[in-house]
Amino acid sequence: MKQKLRVAVFDFADCEGCELEIANLEEEILDLIEIVDIVSFREVMKEHSDTYDIAIVEGSIMRPMDERRLRSIRSKAKILVALGACATIGGVNKIRNQWMPDEVLHEVYGNADVKGNELFDVFKTKALKEVVPVDYYIHGCPIDRDEFKHVITALALGKKPEIPTYPVCVECKKNENICQFELGKFCLGPITRAGCKAICPTHNSPCEGCRGLIKKAEADCVKEVLERYKLSYEDIRRRCTMYNYGREECSVDE
Amino acid sequence: MKQAVKIITKKDFLTLVNTLLQNKTYDVVGVKAKGKRYVFDTLNDADELSLDYDVTILPPKKYFLPQYEQLMKFSLEKPFEVKETIDDQPRIIIGVHPYDIIALQQTDTQYLDPPKDDFYKKRRDNTIVIGVDIQNVSERSFAGSMKTHVTETGFDLLLTDLGATYAVTVGTEKGSTLLKKYATTKDATSAEIKKIKDVRDNIAKKYKKKVKVDKKDWSSILVANYANSFWEERSDFCMECSSCTVVCPTCFCYDVHDEVSLNLKNGQRIRTWDGCMLRGFTKLGSGEVFREEPKERYRHRFYRKGNYLPERFGFVACVGCGRCGIACLPDIADPCDVMNELASFGHEEDTGRFFIKQKTDAAEKGIIHIPRSATIKRAEARSEIDTLFEIELDDKKPLGHAPGQFVEVSVFGYGEAPFGVSSPPIDTPSFEIMVRKVGNVTSKLVSMKPGDKVGIRGPLGNGFDVKALEGKNILFTSGGTGMVPMRSLINYVLDKKNRGKFKEITILYGAKRPKEILFMSDVDQWKKVENVQCELTVDKCDANECWDGCIGLITTLFPKVRMDKFDSQNTIVVVIGPPVMYKFVIQCLRTMGIPEENIIVSLERRMKCGVGKCGHCQINGVYVCKEGPVFNYKEIKTLPEAFE
Repeated sequence: MKQKLRVAVFDFADCEGCELEIANLEEEILDLIEIVDIVSFREVMKEHSDTYDIAIVEGSIMRPMDERRLRSIRSKAKILVALGACATIGGVNKIRNQWMPDEVLHEVYGNADVKGNELFDVFKTKALKEVVPVDYYIHGCPIDRDEFKHVITALALGKKPEIPTYPVCVECKKNENICQFELGKFCLGPITRAGCKAICPTHNSPCEGCRGLIKKAEADCVKEVLERYKLSYEDIRRRCTMYNYGREECSVDE
Repeated sequence: MKQAVKIITKKDFLTLVNTLLQNKTYDVVGVKAKGKRYVFDTLNDADELSLDYDVTILPPKKYFLPQYEQLMKFSLEKPFEVKETIDDQPRIIIGVHPYDIIALQQTDTQYLDPPKDDFYKKRRDNTIVIGVDIQNVSERSFAGSMKTHVTETGFDLLLTDLGATYAVTVGTEKGSTLLKKYATTKDATSAEIKKIKDVRDNIAKKYKKKVKVDKKDWSSILVANYANSFWEERSDFCMECSSCTVVCPTCFCYDVHDEVSLNLKNGQRIRTWDGCMLRGFTKLGSGEVFREEPKERYRHRFYRKGNYLPERFGFVACVGCGRCGIACLPDIADPCDVMNELASFGHEEDTGRFFIKQKTDAAEKGIIHIPRSATIKRAEARSEIDTLFEIELDDKKPLGHAPGQFVEVSVFGYGEAPFGVSSPPIDTPSFEIMVRKVGNVTSKLVSMKPGDKVGIRGPLGNGFDVKALEGKNILFTSGGTGMVPMRSLINYVLDKKNRGKFKEITILYGAKRPKEILFMSDVDQWKKVENVQCELTVDKCDANECWDGCIGLITTLFPKVRMDKFDSQNTIVVVIGPPVMYKFVIQCLRTMGIPEENIIVSLERRMKCGVGKCGHCQINGVYVCKEGPVFNYKEIKTLPEAFE
C-alpha cells in the first residue's frame, strides 16, 4: 500500500463543534487512521507535527495573527480543506461584521485596557478563502459526518470530492417533509446548498442557511416567493444574518 | 375481460391488513397521515390507514425506484469482486390512487422498454398494488380533466368505498389469490356494481381545476410555442430546486455514483433520483453544461411531459395529480396552468419536430447495470493529457462493436464514464479507448497499469452504418477528441479488406495545439495510403512547439479538399468534434454543395446509463446514448437542442 496521507486538523475562531463531529466518529476513527495518518489534532491528541499533506481547518479568521498562522498552514499543506460554516463562509462569526471591530470590543470587554494586546487586535471576520486559497469545503454548522467521510475517502483515493450544488429542497422533498412555508414558517432551504440531508426541516425547524447560499436573496424568484407568503425582504435579510451576513457572491462551485 | 368484483366489509378489510402485518411475508405499506398531509409509509397497524386521503407528498414510485438504491457492492481490495444487489422483498402497497397507478404503468413502459431494468422489474413483480378510488380531491389536482381519476387496469386489487363496505375490483390473478387466501368476501350484486360507477362519476364532478387542452393536443401546442418568450418570463421565477420533479409520479431520471467505506476496503454503486431542473443534470466531466439557461431546463420539463414521451410512447407524461403545483413555491410548475396559458396564445411559428424515431438494436439480455470484467492490456501515453488503453474482456469474447459505438468504463470506487471505441471492429477480445484526463474516473484511469481491472458495459448506442458508406466518397472531418471514434471508422474503411468498397477518401483533422493531436502514427499511415487526402490543422501553436503544418480552425482545411475528384452528391461527410464545431463545419459543407442527408454526425452529451433510461443525454426527445450518438444531420437538425 502506498504511503498514507498525513492529515492535520486546526482551528481558529469557532466552537470546535465540527472537530467534535470528527471525534464523534467513535469506533470509525479506527477506520479513519487506517487510511490517513492524523499528525495533529489539538482537540483529541497531544502529538503535533508540522509535516502534513492535508490541512483541515475549522474556524473564522479574526485577527492579523490568525492570518499569519493560516498562511503558514497553507504553505505546508498540499490540500487545504475548510471545515464547517465558520471556515467555509464565516458563519455566525460574521454576525459581528454589522458593527465596527472597536464597537464590538467595547460591547464585550467594556473599558478594559486591551490596546496593544494582539490577542484583541481584531478586524472584520473573514472566511478562510478570503485569506488563502481553499481546495475543498465541508459545509455546515455543524458538519455532516457522512459528508466528512465522503470528502476524506475521496481525498485518500485521489478523487475530487463532489458536494451538492443544488438546494436543500431536493433532500427535504425526498424526505417527504411538509414544506416549512406550507406550515407558515420561513425557510432558507430553497436558496441553501444541500448535503445536510435537510436535517433541520426534517426535524420541523426551518433551514438557517448554514451551508451557504447558492442563490442570491435578492433574486426575482425569492422576491416572488416572499410576496406569495406575505414575508418581507427584511425577514430574509434577518434570517441570512445568522450564517450569511455580508455574503455577496453565491458560488455553487466552492 | 370482465373483472370480478367482490364486497368486503370495512372491518374485514382492516382484519385482512392486520393479518398481512402479522404474517410478515410482506412489507405492508399504506397511506398514513403526516400532519395535514399524507404519505405512503410502512404500516404498523391497519388503523393507521387513511384511505380517504387527497394526495400523498411523494408518489409510490419510491417503492419501485427508491431515492437511494444500492445497485451493486464491490471490493476495492479484490479487483472485480462485484455483486449486484437486487431487492426482492415482497411488498403490498395499499391505497394507490388511479392517477398514480397510471403513472406506474408509464414508468413500466420506460423501464421495461428493452433493455429492461432488472432492479425495477424485480420490485414490480414482487409488489402487490391495492388501489383505491379517490374520495377526496386535492385542491391542485386536475386528474378529472386528464381522465386519470379512474383506471381499469394497473392494479392487483382496487377498493371503492361504498359506505360500510369496500367493493374490491380484482385486477390480476395475484390480487385474486391474496384475497382468497386472507379474506372473506362475497360477490358484488349488480346494484353494488352500479354504485361503483356512481362513486366514480361523482369524483369527476369534484374537480375544480381543469386542463382545457385535450391530451392529444399537448404535443402540437408545445411544438408551436417552443420559441415563445413565455418560458423565459416564467423561468425567471424558478428557484431551480427541482421539487417539481422530485414529487412527480412520472419523473424517473436518475444518477449513479460510487461510495466507498471509510476504510477503503469496499464500496457500493448507488442510484439516486436526479432532476432535469438542476443545472448539473447535463454537465459533462469536462465541465460543459447543455441547457445552461434556466428557461431551457424549465421548458424541457414540460416538453418531456407533453411532447417527447408522447411522441415516443404515446402517452402524456402527466397524470394531473397536482403535486408539483403544491410543491412549487413560486407556483410556476403546474402543467395545468402552463397548458391552459399556452392554449390562450396564438400559435407561433412551428419550430419543427423534437423527436426522431431511430432503430436501435438494444439487446434484452443480462443485467443492464452490472459491468463485465475486463483487464487493461496496454496503456500508452499519447499526449500530455491523453492515454490510449487496450482493454481485453475477461471472457475473451470480442466486444462486437461497430465504429461509432461507445462503452461505459467502470473504475470501482470512482464511478463510470463513457468512451468512444477507437479501434476498428475486429475479432479479437481486445479494443482500444482514448482517455483524456478531465474528471475523477479519467484521472484514475490514466494512473492505471496493464493488469489492472476495469468494468465494461457495452458496446452501447448506434454506430455508423458502414454499408451505407459503400460506393461513396467519404470526407472525414474531426476536431479534438472527435478523432477517437473517427479513428475506428477510418481504420475500418482503410483496411485492405474493405478499401475497395469505398471511393475517394479525404481526412480533415483539427486539434487545439500540436501536442493534442491524437493518433499521429495512424495519421502518418493514412497519408501513405493511395487515393487518400489527409489534412491537419491546429488552432494555435506556442513558440516552443514543433509544427510546420496549417494553423487555424478546422474550417480552414475545406478549401484544400481536392474538389476536382469530388462529386458532392456522391460524397458522405462524417463530422465528429466538440459541440461548438458543428455549426461552422456544416455551413462550409452546405456551401460546398453537400446535401444535408449526406452529412453524418456523432454528438456528445452526458451519457450515463447508456440505455435510454436516466435522461441525462437527451437532445429534446432523443436519447443520444441509445438512438445516437451517430445521427443523420438532416434528421437531427430538426431538434433545436442538437446544435444550439
